[in-house]
Amino acid sequence: MTDIDTGPHGTQLTLSSGEHQRLRERYRRRTTLTAYAFLGPNLLAFVVFLLIPVVWLFVSTFRTGGVLEPAQFVEFDNWRDTFSDPLVRTSIRNTVVYSAMAIPSVFVIAMALALALQAIPRGGAPIRVALYLPTLQPAVVAAFIFTFVLHPDFGVINYAIRGLGGHPVNFLGDTSIALPTIAGIEVWRGTGFWAMVFLAGLVSLPRELYDAAELDGAGAIRRFIRLTLPLLRPTFYFAVIFATIVNLQLFDSVFALTDGGPVNSTISAALYIYRSLFLFGDIGFGATLSFLLVVTVLVLTGLQTFLLRERR
Amino acid sequence: MTVLRPSGSQRREATSTGRERGSAVRTTRSAISLSYVVLLVGVAIALVPFLYVVSTSMKETTSLFSYPPDWIPSPIYWGNFESLFADHPFVRWTLNTLFVAGTVTGLKLWFDSMAGYALAKMEFSGKRGVALLFLLSVAIPISALIIPLFFVVRYLGLLNTYWALILPPLANPLGIFMARSFIVHIPEDLESSARLDGASEFTIYRKIVLPLIRPGLVVLGMFTFMLQYTSFIWPLIAVQDSERQVIAVGISGLHSAFLQDWGLLSAAMLLAAIPITVVFLLIQKAFVINDLSGALKE
Repeated sequence: MTDIDTGPHGTQLTLSSGEHQRLRERYRRRTTLTAYAFLGPNLLAFVVFLLIPVVWLFVSTFRTGGVLEPAQFVEFDNWRDTFSDPLVRTSIRNTVVYSAMAIPSVFVIAMALALALQAIPRGGAPIRVALYLPTLQPAVVAAFIFTFVLHPDFGVINYAIRGLGGHPVNFLGDTSIALPTIAGIEVWRGTGFWAMVFLAGLVSLPRELYDAAELDGAGAIRRFIRLTLPLLRPTFYFAVIFATIVNLQLFDSVFALTDGGPVNSTISAALYIYRSLFLFGDIGFGATLSFLLVVTVLVLTGLQTFLLRERR
Repeated sequence: MTVLRPSGSQRREATSTGRERGSAVRTTRSAISLSYVVLLVGVAIALVPFLYVVSTSMKETTSLFSYPPDWIPSPIYWGNFESLFADHPFVRWTLNTLFVAGTVTGLKLWFDSMAGYALAKMEFSGKRGVALLFLLSVAIPISALIIPLFFVVRYLGLLNTYWALILPPLANPLGIFMARSFIVHIPEDLESSARLDGASEFTIYRKIVLPLIRPGLVVLGMFTFMLQYTSFIWPLIAVQDSERQVIAVGISGLHSAFLQDWGLLSAAMLLAAIPITVVFLLIQKAFVINDLSGALKE
């Protein structure tokens, strides 16, 4: 696109084509060098803390050996162990199910709040700050806050449930509600962030289109479906990809709240990876599970890219 | 359908007459009240859990379990805060977190704006390859890399140091693309004329690009700082020494070591929320959405 940069400025008439070629080459070599100098720090960090770990991860899936003894190649043993371990399947399923619950919920709520923020004439600034406060907390802090709020004996939610004549709910101790509860806590924490992202998308939309649609008699809901949603496609694209990557790494709140329980109903892939390193010290197994998680994220984000980038 | 004359500015003021079938009028009026209701509910849900923390932090552990739960502690008990400072390295955790998050943010802004400049404005061999590599690595979850990262950092002899907390996050490529998106919209004439005047690429980057993308960098900086402030799994693994630990891991340790002491835990959570909230409030003005979209457009 920006080919203009590479052209020499107004001197080309006096140069022979060979000379021109040579100068062009030299200019290009120099910019390439400069460009890599600019990219240098990031490339270095990328190689040491991303590329090498990923390669190491892949090699380790074919090796055994704990933290202490030397590594040995074992061909596909780790892969066999990983695929035959039912807990691996449970942990990956939990992670995906959790994401499938948390992401759509947080998006719908955040979009509603963003639309509301855009609609109000004043008072936006303090409301934005208040909505953003949960996002500023570490996930473990959000998790602990909700252990109070949701406590079966003295939590305020169960107090309300009892007051209404219901039975108290053991939000984190019941195998069928523990994972949705954790998803709910993350929704509480994430809503402010996504509301700001969506609001930024909303205010950058061209006003004229809305005026035209209004003149054509399109109602608010119609305008939202026909105009806002399609126009926000780039925002959604970023949001879906980023949320997928973040949520598939579910660890902090599970670690803080349930440690995978009750009965492994909330064990996540990242928690199982952590355990394989620090609890039973099986690096080959942990590496294979990690590799599976990387593949899961790559496949899902690739699929989303395909779905959201098509139909243009 | 009824053909409307494009009455431009009149449309907005037509509140009382409602000549245009009322649709615009109706949505504006009721939509605003509905919006306030929605936001009020949202704000309540966002804030009420914090009141719980404030209230619990000022209660003695024995009175926590009163039923029904009482919101206002009486008498107010400051022992949790005293114990937090006296018996735990809470101040150290806070300073560690601020130092690590601040350093990462500063370095990240510097490196990412440089890389973003190269990707946005320079033509060089291998550009597509580099961009693709960075793009692919956005999708690599850090929690899947904790095991190899642990060994890389151990190999470098950095376990249990601040470097272990600062260096690995620098490999996160997301900021490069954000910085690139700010820079790509800077009009070319500006750089071209500077280049004609003999300015080097670094001078152009420092004197022209950086000042122009400042609003965007503030947003990116807040985002990076927040990610760092709330990061948990990597510090948990990379640092064992409690004196060097960050606040999130420290608090989590309070929970497992003193399972019953909700008052102490609440006090810690309350104080932990203060620094990041202050940082956020300080740059709230710069964080205002209009500036973000302005930065993206300009």
